[in-house]
Amino acid sequence: MIKVAIGESSYIIRKGIIQLLNEFNEIDLITEYSDAFEFEKKIHETSPDLVIVNPSFYNGLNLPAENANKNLLILHLFNSILPASAPKSHLSVFENKADLIEKLSVAIKALKPSSNSEKDNELTPREKLVLKQVALGKTNKEIGDKLFISTHTVISHRKNITRKLDIKTVSGLTVYAILNQLLSIEDIS
Amino acid sequence: MVIKADMKMADLVMHDIQLLAVIQRLEIPLGFRDKTVTDVCIENSVDIDFFLHIANAFHDHDLYPKEQFLIFKIEWIVNYLRNSHRCYVDHRIPMIEQQIIELEADIDKDKVPDLLLKYFREYINEFNGHIELEERIVFPYTLQLNEALTGKIQPLDFTSKYNDYKIDKYVDDHNDIEEKLFDLKNILIKYMPPPKNNCKYNTLIFELFRLEKDLQDHSDLEDKVLIPKVRLMEKEFNKLTHAIK
Repeated sequence: MIKVAIGESSYIIRKGIIQLLNEFNEIDLITEYSDAFEFEKKIHETSPDLVIVNPSFYNGLNLPAENANKNLLILHLFNSILPASAPKSHLSVFENKADLIEKLSVAIKALKPSSNSEKDNELTPREKLVLKQVALGKTNKEIGDKLFISTHTVISHRKNITRKLDIKTVSGLTVYAILNQLLSIEDIS
Repeated sequence: MVIKADMKMADLVMHDIQLLAVIQRLEIPLGFRDKTVTDVCIENSVDIDFFLHIANAFHDHDLYPKEQFLIFKIEWIVNYLRNSHRCYVDHRIPMIEQQIIELEADIDKDKVPDLLLKYFREYINEFNGHIELEERIVFPYTLQLNEALTGKIQPLDFTSKYNDYKIDKYVDDHNDIEEKLFDLKNILIKYMPPPKNNCKYNTLIFELFRLEKDLQDHSDLEDKVLIPKVRLMEKEFNKLTHAIK
């Protein structure tokens, strides 16, 4: 998850940026600073991944946070109209929503760890075996005995299955198992 | 939007359709014309403050004012909850059941024979069990506790009838029935084979989301208002019986 810090003295602009940032699920913490002095002093504390800051806050100096976090990304927030040649890391309060979202998306994408998390949701063969037994209504102990694993391991498999499938109840898992041909209707009746 | 007494009732519904459920459960009929919240409440003998609190809480959860809720009459809250139960049991849930039946009629029977219907009927059973517990024990207990406190029945009669039943016993039994509904949404969105009739399928999903949100509001009212209020009443009743002894 991505942590963001905002340095901007205008209340309305800060809240506007936060409103935009809330459209991204990847962001889990937003810290705002309305005062340049406080920004400089406290920016380390939250170790942000992304800083959106009014250039007047740091007078062209290095941001102190840059030393702490090598992967830190900085977007500069201007309260003037940007020239056409402005880099993607420059935002302006005069830009429309689509442009701002576009620039924020690029920054957030660059920050996201390149995980293949979608693929991770595939059940392993072992988990499929456990799921089948769960759907048959077996207890954790019975499943452990049948598959020669400890109850503890069964529980940890079950947790992973629920996390991957987003299905919590045994009946829900049964429906899933039948839909995916891990079980047939005859097995459960 | 903060709902206020001088707003037009019709405007509220236009703003937030979810409020229609609140209005119906307070037994307020439609046909508002240009009447304000105050007018409509007076006409239907609904306490204006109670209406405002409950409508604001449902419209914006950040406005859930649990302390203020505690001053309202327990009968109003119980009546509201009962009316919601009727709405779920008589109307909303049978409607979803019917939608599932129609949907499954279109699906290849060999592959998924009434799988969802069976699943949903299991849910209905659990749901009815939950409601029955409240209708049969929790609500009568609450109302009679109130009568014992207000002198309408003898405190000792109440004690002999309910022994040492406490609202916290219900809290313990209050199991989570939302999980099944949550799973059903996931199964429909992620795992079912693509439907032949998208329109029916989508309507069902919409309906499930709506029911889920409504039930969430319902259990919020139970957890944040009914239960704390009954706990307070139990304390008061304890004092009363001690004084008698």
